[in-house]
Amino acid sequence: MVHRPVDSALRAVADPTRRAILRLVRDEELPAGEIAGHFPTMSRPAVSQHLRVLAGAGLVDVRPDGNRRLYRLRSDGLRDAAAILDEMWSDGLARLKAAAEREEWPARTRRGMEH
Amino acid sequence: MVEHTVRIAARRETVWRYWTDAERISAWWGAAAELDPRPGGAFHVELGGGPVMEGEFLELVPNERIVFSFGWAATEGAPGVPPGSTRVEITLTADGEDTILALRHSGLPAPHVEDHRSGWRHFLPILATAAARAT
Repeated sequence: MVHRPVDSALRAVADPTRRAILRLVRDEELPAGEIAGHFPTMSRPAVSQHLRVLAGAGLVDVRPDGNRRLYRLRSDGLRDAAAILDEMWSDGLARLKAAAEREEWPARTRRGMEH
Repeated sequence: MVEHTVRIAARRETVWRYWTDAERISAWWGAAAELDPRPGGAFHVELGGGPVMEGEFLELVPNERIVFSFGWAATEGAPGVPPGSTRVEITLTADGEDTILALRHSGLPAPHVEDHRSGWRHFLPILATAAARAT
């Protein structure tokens, strides 16, 4: 079960600073400098690194604007993650159904022949 | 939230064992499992060569209902859903000789919401709570 894009999306969102950044850019597009301004205790390169992780995981869109870079939430990012987990269960439950039915099949066939 | 319902041509007792018996759960989910089916007991499933699901049984009503926590152990390359951050509820309902299995996995982004952002609003606080608990 290898789903790289989703793994990176879920890993990206596990960090509290990155979740805070996602909340900031959820409703408006913001330049990197303004985002960094919300984290006064953190160095600028550290904030840039978080932004790179978010962009790499497909959770934010980046757009150059002059010498600035603008960030905003890419809402498809986690929707994809949910779809993959949905798929994990639908595949798993299909296998469970097959295994449980196989286990009962001999008994049911016997009963069926008695009728 | 992820929801699934599946009809299984087997009795509830049989289906129940596929969630509580390590050998049977390995037949459909993962390569190996460690299960201690009582509240607070381990619910660990190893996906072959992949991540390890580390959960805990929360509620058990024999042949009717199982609730467990769901998360991935913090190993290299594992998805960032920490243990304890999401919850899975399984209910088994008899219909003649068949079983209707309903699964509900919550603490995840809603897959088909019209407003994508509402999925985020639901998911982010849950992750934040889980992270706070872990520290």
